[in-house]
Amino acid sequence: MPEEKEFSEQESLQLIASMIKKAKGSYHDTGIGSLLWGTVISVASFVSYLRLEYQFDIGFDIWLLALVAIVPQIFISIREKKNAQVKQYDDDVVNAVWLVFGLTIFGLSFYQLIVPGVTGKIIHEEGWDLIKHYNDGSKPDKVINPFTPSLNSIYILVYAIPTMVTGLVKKFKPMTIGAGITYLFFIASCYTNSSNDMLLGGFTAIVCWFIPGIILRRKYIAQRKASNV
Amino acid sequence: MFKELDPILHSQLRLAVMSLLIGVKEADFTFIREKTNSTAGNLSVQVQKLKDAGYIDVVKQFKDNYPQTTCKVTPEGILAFENYVKALQEYLKVGN
Repeated sequence: MPEEKEFSEQESLQLIASMIKKAKGSYHDTGIGSLLWGTVISVASFVSYLRLEYQFDIGFDIWLLALVAIVPQIFISIREKKNAQVKQYDDDVVNAVWLVFGLTIFGLSFYQLIVPGVTGKIIHEEGWDLIKHYNDGSKPDKVINPFTPSLNSIYILVYAIPTMVTGLVKKFKPMTIGAGITYLFFIASCYTNSSNDMLLGGFTAIVCWFIPGIILRRKYIAQRKASNV
Repeated sequence: MFKELDPILHSQLRLAVMSLLIGVKEADFTFIREKTNSTAGNLSVQVQKLKDAGYIDVVKQFKDNYPQTTCKVTPEGILAFENYVKALQEYLKVGN
């Protein structure tokens, strides 16, 4: 861009508009975080689906992977923050949305883990139990904890929230489209059983994070190559 | 009576830099260079002029043993930019 070229008022306004657009349209992300979570959540969901569908045990809870993935995510976040070429005003808002999303997922998992046992204990103290009774008498009656309704649909719904916010705020269409598809998955999941909900959850992670992650990664690598030329 | 256009801002590259910085919290020198398609030397000179006018803050530091220059628009810079845009609009109103 030449330094002191004569330019008209109209050209000045055009230049201002184009530069503001350039600044707004530059969503800088390495894509690694999206790829990490897209992989972890889809793998955990598909394994859960297969485990429920074919009744086998892998010896540990596959969802522990999500807990383990927090460690590399912390390093990724610190590194990305350090290496960011630009800090935008809406970065803090988007980061806050993802933080709240993480807390919400943790809250839902905690609810799913704790509430049935606690409710079972409370109703037992009240003097009654929930009994599983087999009508054909093939198995003896069994005391069970009250079950929570399938939360898998709720997880799918919650997955869409930060993805849609990021897509809209950062004007990043792959995430907006991914979140849109996720809302359709949520509606579908209301009509399917738990194992199929897991399958839908796996596809959700692919459209919300894995595919946008690949797109972000490619964009990031292309930008790095261009700036090194 | 027309306001005179701010000569600091009425330069293509300086205006491009200010327009870019006005929309972000802060930006790296490399980012500004890429977005404005300018050369490092030319950009350095114009950034210095904006800094001298008090329109931007420039922070120079080392990151992983490499120098890093970060630019951020100041409140004075925001005011000057707003006045410049208002003046431009007045010119264009009369032109139409």
